[in-house]
Amino acid sequence: MTEKKFTIALAGNANVGKSVIFNLLTGLHQHIGNWPGKTIEKAEGTLHFKGYTIDIIDLPGIYSLSTFSIEELISREYIAVERPDLVINIVDASVLERNLFFTLQLLELETPMIVALNQMDMAKKKGMKIDTEKLGELLGVPVIPTVAISGVGIYDLLEKSVEIIEGRHKTEPVKAKYGKEIEEKVEKIARMVEKTQFKYPARWVAIKLLEGDEEVEKEILKINPKIVSAAEKLATEIEEIHGHSCSTVITSERYEAASKIAQEIQEITPQIKPPMRERIHALTTHKIFGYPIMAVSVLSIFYFIFTFGDFTSSFLGDSLFGLKPIFEGMFGTGVVGKLVWGGVMEGIIGGVTVALPYILPFYFMLYFLEDSGYLSRIAFLMDNFMHKIGLHGKAFIPMMLGFGCNVPGCLGCRIMETERERLLAAFVVTLVPCAATTVIILGLVGAFVSIQWALALYIIDLLIIFFLGRLAFKALPGEPTALVMEMSDYRVPHLKTVLKQTWFRLMEFVKMAFPLIIIGSLVIKMIEILNLLEPIANILSPVTVTWLGLPAITGITLIFGVLRKELTLIMLATLLGTTNFAQVMTPVQMIVFTLVAMLYIPCIATIAALAKEFGWKKAYFITVFEILLALLLGGIAFRLLSI
Amino acid sequence: MELRLTELRDGESGIITSIKASQGRSWRSRRVGRGWGLKKRLEDMGLTPGTKVTVVKSAPFRGPLEVYVRGSRLAIGRGMAERIFVEVKR
Repeated sequence: MTEKKFTIALAGNANVGKSVIFNLLTGLHQHIGNWPGKTIEKAEGTLHFKGYTIDIIDLPGIYSLSTFSIEELISREYIAVERPDLVINIVDASVLERNLFFTLQLLELETPMIVALNQMDMAKKKGMKIDTEKLGELLGVPVIPTVAISGVGIYDLLEKSVEIIEGRHKTEPVKAKYGKEIEEKVEKIARMVEKTQFKYPARWVAIKLLEGDEEVEKEILKINPKIVSAAEKLATEIEEIHGHSCSTVITSERYEAASKIAQEIQEITPQIKPPMRERIHALTTHKIFGYPIMAVSVLSIFYFIFTFGDFTSSFLGDSLFGLKPIFEGMFGTGVVGKLVWGGVMEGIIGGVTVALPYILPFYFMLYFLEDSGYLSRIAFLMDNFMHKIGLHGKAFIPMMLGFGCNVPGCLGCRIMETERERLLAAFVVTLVPCAATTVIILGLVGAFVSIQWALALYIIDLLIIFFLGRLAFKALPGEPTALVMEMSDYRVPHLKTVLKQTWFRLMEFVKMAFPLIIIGSLVIKMIEILNLLEPIANILSPVTVTWLGLPAITGITLIFGVLRKELTLIMLATLLGTTNFAQVMTPVQMIVFTLVAMLYIPCIATIAALAKEFGWKKAYFITVFEILLALLLGGIAFRLLSI
Repeated sequence: MELRLTELRDGESGIITSIKASQGRSWRSRRVGRGWGLKKRLEDMGLTPGTKVTVVKSAPFRGPLEVYVRGSRLAIGRGMAERIFVEVKR
């Protein structure tokens, strides 16, 4: 029996319904991870169809195959090197020109391909009539009209895919023709490249060399430097004729080709009345009204999440802690019992009471807003503000998530374009006071000092973010950041896709964070069992007592806080034997303690997220930096406030 | 006349003449200048020379521009928009 297995990659612009199609195809058989060594999410899934096992790879949403972003690099490497059996190019029928620009580039990679002409309903709403068959003729590949959100055309898409892979349907992809001067030069270089047996198609390499693509240049230099210098010479010739850089000329001509195809196949009847989605867009990006609308939306989302989270968290906590007698019955109350319950189980409970009540709704809201199109409007409104800390508008979104929990905040930094922006944004996110930090601020300073001081701490934190963000922005070398973002039409999110996206991201978090949380809580339990807590508190006392002016016992609570920040407060109550902190700590001590707890370390789950996204070295660096920062500021605050 | 994209009034259209990779450098410099990647990005999004672009509005406090180009709506940071030159009939 032969193995009937093959691979299909989904490629297309962002916001074309790619994830909806991915979710329709793969259902619950998904695996979310990262591309090896990259901060880019890799979504994979499997599907069984007509006796075949099909692996589906969801490539990142991109606009080109140049090297502007890591996503683009990953996508073209994948298509050219891994050689999927078929690429399904998902095209937004309502924004044909720009989508076809990408299609033409995919065709240049000479990979077996099929086009899913998606959002046909939206195109119709916009008054567009599209000749699908003609498009197929012009591109030389099959074109299947689809409306992913209602599942229309998906079966046809699969059937056609199988036909092509089985070889029953022969395709003859058309290649975009450039102007005469460029075609001549492309051919000249392509002939030289052909002899090198390079992994990419010769014509594609020739075009990229003319465009001055860094990555391709680097690799060809290793094989035959003569080709690169020849290409450079020819590119200069083009530049002299056109008065623009060669890359600009090629992009221009490719767009012309896309535009010509679009004009040939679509008929547009202009609409008289601006539709609802346009009016919502105008209102939500309005110079004045846009901001209050945003504030109300964001705050009500937070309110919803925290109300839901608080309730669910305590409910889950209570029921899970109810299991304690059962565990004690099974494992006893000796060392083993303590380790099983206090280490493993309390770790799991800690994870569960954060993951389900807070992270789940956070992800849900994130994907809901993203799918609807509102996130890009928020980025538009906040761009100017975010520039003040060296980031651009999109970074507001992970930051906003960070206020709930730093973990999705760090993972949310994936929406930034470059590795540098991702790292910068993640660094800023780890300084954002999360829900647990808010519990400490309000529960200690807010309740026992004054609400003004609690607010002041918040403001101090934001100022720190502002200054450190700027500093990191100046310190890290690289391209300047700027917002270049599509604001796709508003639409009703596809609930099933949003739910699946939420669920699989949650699972990813669980896999990543739970082992660390459990190990962490086991280690701390061991220290407790070995009666090392007090010696450690004593070792730390030069820092805690002398430098920060805190009671020695706080050294222990700060260690526990690594697991979950709110544990600092809970442990403080346990160890001091009272919840009336005013009896055991002075107001200054409470303020200093909160300030330190707020900044001193990202919790263990956040460290795990950082390590996963940026590697252990950077995670370690950020952690150590923040500990030192917290101690420095805490000490200064203690001295200032004691005057 | 030739203007920067940021100098256009709300609702005004122009034809793109060039995008400067960074202030003061000419088009001739290949991959030189700090904004090269962003220039490429803009072109990949459809803002190539000769294309008609319409400024819909800009966000307040010198925020980004909302532009309409090739049937899609884009947000472009102000710093980047200042490097886009357009020919306008006034």
